[in-house]
Amino acid sequence: MILSDSETKQLEIEIIDIKKDILQMIFDAQSGHPGGSLSCASLIYILYKKIMKIDPKKPDWEDRDIFILSKGHAAPALYAVLSKMGYIERKEIFTLREFGSIIQGHPVKNKNLGIEISTGSLGMGLSIGVGCALAAKLDKNENKFIYVLLGDGELDEGAIWEAAMSASHYRLNNLIALVDRNGIQIDGATEEIMALEPLAEKWRSFGWNVLEIDGSNIKELINGINKGKEIIGKPTVIISYLVKGADVSFMEHTRRYHGKAPNKEQYQLAIKELNKIQQKIQKEKI
Amino acid sequence: MANIPLRDSFGNLLVELGEKKENIVVLDSDLSSSTRTDKFAQKFPERFFNMGVAEQNTVGSAIGFAISGKIPIVSGFAIFTTGRAWEFIRIAAHDNLNLKIIPTHSGFVGEDGSTHHALEDLSLMSSLPNITILIPLDNNELKQMMEKSINTEGLFYVRLPRDSFPEIHKKNYRFNLGKIDVLKDGLDLCLIGSGFGASLGYETALAIEKQQKISVKVINLSTIKPIDINDLINQVQGCKGVILIEEHNNYCGIGSIISKILSEYNPIPMKFVGIENTFGQSGTRSALLNAYGLNKEAIMMRVNELFKKI
Repeated sequence: MILSDSETKQLEIEIIDIKKDILQMIFDAQSGHPGGSLSCASLIYILYKKIMKIDPKKPDWEDRDIFILSKGHAAPALYAVLSKMGYIERKEIFTLREFGSIIQGHPVKNKNLGIEISTGSLGMGLSIGVGCALAAKLDKNENKFIYVLLGDGELDEGAIWEAAMSASHYRLNNLIALVDRNGIQIDGATEEIMALEPLAEKWRSFGWNVLEIDGSNIKELINGINKGKEIIGKPTVIISYLVKGADVSFMEHTRRYHGKAPNKEQYQLAIKELNKIQQKIQKEKI
Repeated sequence: MANIPLRDSFGNLLVELGEKKENIVVLDSDLSSSTRTDKFAQKFPERFFNMGVAEQNTVGSAIGFAISGKIPIVSGFAIFTTGRAWEFIRIAAHDNLNLKIIPTHSGFVGEDGSTHHALEDLSLMSSLPNITILIPLDNNELKQMMEKSINTEGLFYVRLPRDSFPEIHKKNYRFNLGKIDVLKDGLDLCLIGSGFGASLGYETALAIEKQQKISVKVINLSTIKPIDINDLINQVQGCKGVILIEEHNNYCGIGSIISKILSEYNPIPMKFVGIENTFGQSGTRSALLNAYGLNKEAIMMRVNELFKKI
């Protein structure tokens, strides 16, 4: 699938809409994780909009592709995308983190809303993806793909590497992991807290097909995933270089907004910045 | 009567059930020859997944199978499966998944020693909502428990030992999930046990009645969760005391659960026979049971304490 420039432009505009929703949800709740939601919002949206075989009207369709948000704290990004895709009513997403809300601070399994499994305790998603991929192989369902979105800080968890080993052992080419490589975890830079590099080599040595992409480049992302889907006999990991807090200047490249909501002033400034970006994209000549 | 070890029955039953249900998959963490899941592996190699020495990924993958509509059965050694993979099991409970955890080597495993005994697994499992916990008394009960757990949606923990237990149930015994199974009726004292605890209670009750004028009821508490509270209260009513017998740490084990219920709804003097807050050591199973107070004498001592107090 080759995207036209106008399609790409439209998707970029929609991604900014998603980001505005994320900020509004977190601002309304006055709690949540903006940094890591903004970084991976584009990945989740492109997966749902352009890659995955899904039907929002039939969330439990057996042959659907599976998405697992292993970095569960990016829940606002997932909810915003699920709302845009028609799984969750838009008004519901602004009840984020409220008592009695159908959407909690971290995703809770809900078939009707398209949430496959509860996540938030880090390091679990890839194992769950391995199980889904093994089940699809057992069913000889060749067209079913499993996508797992991992945080980079999350890769500190040992269970990730147990899962990585088993995925290549079982030759799970129907499993595609995406790493949100924004370089920052709660306490600081990943390389200072618990060094991950050389990350691509680590995955390669575990038997994975490794792609490194600019995660904010839609065409690169789609090409990367499509390449991953064509690989035979091994799983693919797409290390997606992204920016924590992407597109809100004061949230970018900092750990300050990992788990902190903006105040009113900051929120208004953030929305202003996002509107500007959107206007700029609209004005761009194709 | 010599009986085949429960883990051997488990291995055979997996094959039987696997023949009936095509969506059963079995996962093990490199212990298939000890847990006897190797029988299933030989018969259904495409539905058996050895995940290596990696309990977290074993249960994590089982979760993936469960959300894909399979019935995953996870086995391993009880302490490693429940301990190392606890948080994964917690998510399976949290999401109400159809997944069965059936490890072997619970309680004292014998010569492998304190690192391998599972004396804390029930504490870990029983604090989870949405889980059914079963402990078989004998092969007859195990067979019915396995069928029940496979045919009932939800997360099950079935606690199996390494060794054999005496066959106490009659052939026509019917396992009834959640209901109290009375092995022997009696009026004065009630012994409640699970698994080996129940068979030890049964054996001891017969010995007590020979020596003293005490009529002893014996309950096989084979469902640890959920417990039918009314049934339990009715069964102990009229007794002067209850002795709880478990092959588990008796701090936060079955005794704690039962005494919570009885103290709230039907206060009655209680005594506890179990592992007293220790890890144990290497030794034959019988040496360990004797050393850590899981034998007839220990129960008799509690009976005397109870009746002196009364």
